[in-house]
Amino acid sequence: MKRSLITRSAVLAAATLALTGCSTGGSDTTAGASAVCEDSTEPVTLSLAAWGLSTSTDFQTLTDSFHLENPNITVELAEYDATDYDTQLTADLAAGSAPDLYPIKTITTFPTYQEGGQLLDVSEVTDVLGADYPGIEYYTTDGAAYAVPYRQDAWYLYYNKELFDLAGVSYPDGTWTWDEYDDVAVELTENLEAAGQQNVKGTYLHSWATALQSFATAQAGSDEAYFAADWDYMVPFYERAIALQDAGAQENYGVVTTNSLTYQGQFGTQKTAMMPMGSWYIAALLSQRESGDADVFEWGIAPAPQVDDTTLDHPVTQGNPTAIGINAAIDDAKACAAKDFLTYVSSEPAAVELAGIGLRPSYTADVVTDTVFSQEGMPTDPESRVAFSTLEAHPDAPLGSDTPALQNILKDAHSAILSGAVSPEDGIAQAMERARSEGLG
Amino acid sequence: MATLDVTASAPAPVPATVTPKAPRRERAPGSRLRRRNTLIGWTFILPNFIGFATLTLVPVVILLYLGFTSWNAFGAATFTGTDNFERLVRDTTFHTALKNTIYFAVMHIPLTLGASLGLALLLNRKMRGMAFFRTVAFFPYITSIVAIAVVWNMLFSPEAGVINQMLMAIGIDDPPGWTTSTTWAMPAIVIVATWRDMGYYMLLFLAGLQAIPSELYEAARVDGASAVQRFRNVTLPSLRPTTFFVTVMLTIASFKIFDLILVMTNGGPGTSTLVLSQYIYRKGFVENDFGYASAIAVVLFVICLGVTVLQFLANKRRDA
Amino acid sequence: MASLTLDRPAPPPAQRRDPRRTRRLLSAALLYTVLVVAAAAIMLPFFWMVVSSLKNNNQIFTVPVQWLPDPAVWQNYLDIWDKSEMSRWLRTTLLLSITVTLLQLFTGSFAAYGFAKMRFPGRDVLFLAYIGTIAVPWQAYMIPQFILMTRLGLSNTLWAMVALQAFGAFGVFLMKQFYESIPEELSEAARIDGLSEYAIWWRIVLPLSGPALATLALLTFVNTWNDYLGPLIYLRNPDIWTIQIGLRSLVSQYNAEYALIMTGSVLSVLPIAIIFLLGQRYFVQGIATSGLKG
Repeated sequence: MKRSLITRSAVLAAATLALTGCSTGGSDTTAGASAVCEDSTEPVTLSLAAWGLSTSTDFQTLTDSFHLENPNITVELAEYDATDYDTQLTADLAAGSAPDLYPIKTITTFPTYQEGGQLLDVSEVTDVLGADYPGIEYYTTDGAAYAVPYRQDAWYLYYNKELFDLAGVSYPDGTWTWDEYDDVAVELTENLEAAGQQNVKGTYLHSWATALQSFATAQAGSDEAYFAADWDYMVPFYERAIALQDAGAQENYGVVTTNSLTYQGQFGTQKTAMMPMGSWYIAALLSQRESGDADVFEWGIAPAPQVDDTTLDHPVTQGNPTAIGINAAIDDAKACAAKDFLTYVSSEPAAVELAGIGLRPSYTADVVTDTVFSQEGMPTDPESRVAFSTLEAHPDAPLGSDTPALQNILKDAHSAILSGAVSPEDGIAQAMERARSEGLG
Repeated sequence: MATLDVTASAPAPVPATVTPKAPRRERAPGSRLRRRNTLIGWTFILPNFIGFATLTLVPVVILLYLGFTSWNAFGAATFTGTDNFERLVRDTTFHTALKNTIYFAVMHIPLTLGASLGLALLLNRKMRGMAFFRTVAFFPYITSIVAIAVVWNMLFSPEAGVINQMLMAIGIDDPPGWTTSTTWAMPAIVIVATWRDMGYYMLLFLAGLQAIPSELYEAARVDGASAVQRFRNVTLPSLRPTTFFVTVMLTIASFKIFDLILVMTNGGPGTSTLVLSQYIYRKGFVENDFGYASAIAVVLFVICLGVTVLQFLANKRRDA
Repeated sequence: MASLTLDRPAPPPAQRRDPRRTRRLLSAALLYTVLVVAAAAIMLPFFWMVVSSLKNNNQIFTVPVQWLPDPAVWQNYLDIWDKSEMSRWLRTTLLLSITVTLLQLFTGSFAAYGFAKMRFPGRDVLFLAYIGTIAVPWQAYMIPQFILMTRLGLSNTLWAMVALQAFGAFGVFLMKQFYESIPEELSEAARIDGLSEYAIWWRIVLPLSGPALATLALLTFVNTWNDYLGPLIYLRNPDIWTIQIGLRSLVSQYNAEYALIMTGSVLSVLPIAIIFLLGQRYFVQGIATSGLKG
């Protein structure tokens, strides 16, 4: 009930913003679009693959406001399953029954669709946006772009100010390396226990392999090392995680998996004082506070800890750009309208609307950050604001056609190492060997 | 339900009054009769076969072909001969998955067979509450797999879990790590799989037990056969077609195990519970290597079919 | 376990003596104790499902496990009807399951007669083809099948689900095995009496296969009801979603709302449990014996 009220008011706010933004940013984008292809007033109906329609409103918001600006183009949503999106989409593309436009939900599947010839060249749209627009590089192959990013997630360090105060530890100030993070996690755990909080840990590492490996690759690895399966750079990250587990400052991996712990439950009900997690959790946390599933407490976000102090100015973190592409099998007559839609989703008005419903858009501007932080329950300190927008985000893994296979191997290594079946060094060495036996690397 | 009405409304009227006549009429115009028989046989099979052939058989035949190609699901497949199979020979992950699959099947088949037959015998009686207990036994099969995974993982939790608490209470100081241990994860899966499947196969055994004429037991009793003798000489032989059916289905299902592992361990820790079906799914839908995935499916198919044919032959020999 | 069963009836030919009776009572008591304990253990995950549906979301996965809700939250059982299309999913699935079950019973038992009681060249090879397809994991031929169904115009319709489920090899195999346990003399006699093969199937074999038909009906119903991958691939239109795919969308959309998901799971199991309990008596009656009497 409450949730729908929030979303409804958010939609209203977004719609108002869109209407007012129409005169400035709006005209710009249509100008850009008409430069891309010939404007037509013929009514066009496009279909767009989408998921989670009954709860999340991002797609509906985008298509509705786009239609306000372009009355002759209607974008209809085709619902897909959020978890098995790629399975369903692959089947539809193979059978020729896929929608005109589809988001690349998991960035690592992009090479599959692109190399499979399932995406239309959309360089006309991205040329207007410019090469600095976040995320475009990841969707560009041989100089041509095949999808346009509209969402740019990023990982932060979430922290519970009240637990920090209780433990008498000062808040993360944006200068942390992983070593400091480890020390603080141990200190928090000890002090909180002394303060009578037996079941609270200093930090929480969720069970996903990317929660650890993507940081390692973004901060200590390189594309070349990743594709060559030279993964030694991951070993220190694993050694740190194991040390935190052994010190009791972080919930044991075995407990996380066997008890199906959720990161929302751990941070939301104050079982942990810190947690590295993606920007999507902001919206979830706010709505859980509202519904009573999460406690109400003061919190903040800090940049992800770094390997050393050389990157503190512009912290390197992980976070995927989500993009929308055009089905290569689209009707020629519709391609122009589809490109108009892509121009719109990457524009400022669209970004403000996405920010209004708690998402982190690709388009960056103060007005976007303002919109995010104007929501009730958001931190008010300036550090959190800076942390939100100042960063360099790398996707889950470097992109190539081998990426999914390499990721599968690394996932297995992750569970083997963190469950204690092998040492970090041996686990990574075995994974590298396995990659070679499959003809990768 | 409708068919059950059929049972009720047509109470087996014919055969009792008929006295078998001496040697049946000669099948003299053999070929003609055979053709007629074939025709009638086909009419029985056809309603099912039309659906089966177009929707299952054709895709399966296509799959067999895809095993010899490179295909990313989009566009045409490129014929690559036996490349995929040569790759399989070198692929150590495939070897692990194959070993794990066999390991699972070898443990799961006898356990489930024993448990379901035991349950069926235990619950095949006219006592108060049997309907309730049968329903209970069937419950694991219909409980949501998400709930199954969550609860069993909790029960198996190395430190906080109920199972290890109990093991420690009876004096086992160093209980296994179950789903967090590369050694114990597969046995843990086998336990859950047996628990889930036994009610399903129990039902099949119950149907088989119902079909045994009670006259046979009475006759055996008159002959002074003991309980054990009656079980060995009446129950088991009469149950043969059912046992055969259950064994074949169970074998195939064990080799194809997928969903339970996916939700419980997702193949981990490491690759300790990675099985063939899951590897097929990974190669196909995660890595879009559908040609290679099909090749693995062909191998799985050949294994299943080989084991099934062996079972058929064994069954035939015992029949003879 | 086997010996336990067989201890049961065998009353001594002479009149009953007291110790014998005490022993029987004792063994019955023991049996019930064992059954009750086993039942409790078997039902534990279901119990957890129910308990979770009565909790707050973030109380479900905790260390240590909280076995009883405190306080019990009944709100989910009211919310779910608003937050989801639960009643429509249940209706669609019921309709689909009944259709599939009827079709499978008919085509399965009909084809099984051909395989079990008729002799013609190619029969065994054909049967092996049936078994063979069971041995292929579905996810391996899912895409070719999907392309085929789409060409036939079936995808994104409930007909796709009917087509997928109603012609399975399972029913054919099950019924064939059962028919083989029916003595050949019965159909021979009927043949001499001049009955056609169809009449033999309808008037003699079918009435004898009550328990097998009931089993096939129940298992087909349950499998159709619980199928999730099939609807996931074929049904995009939310108007024709089945209960499993609906639940799945709940999981995806309310991915942190485990209590709601568990509520949905409990509700999805209940109809099956009821049908099972009602179908019980068809297993209890020894229908099969009647044909041999007289």
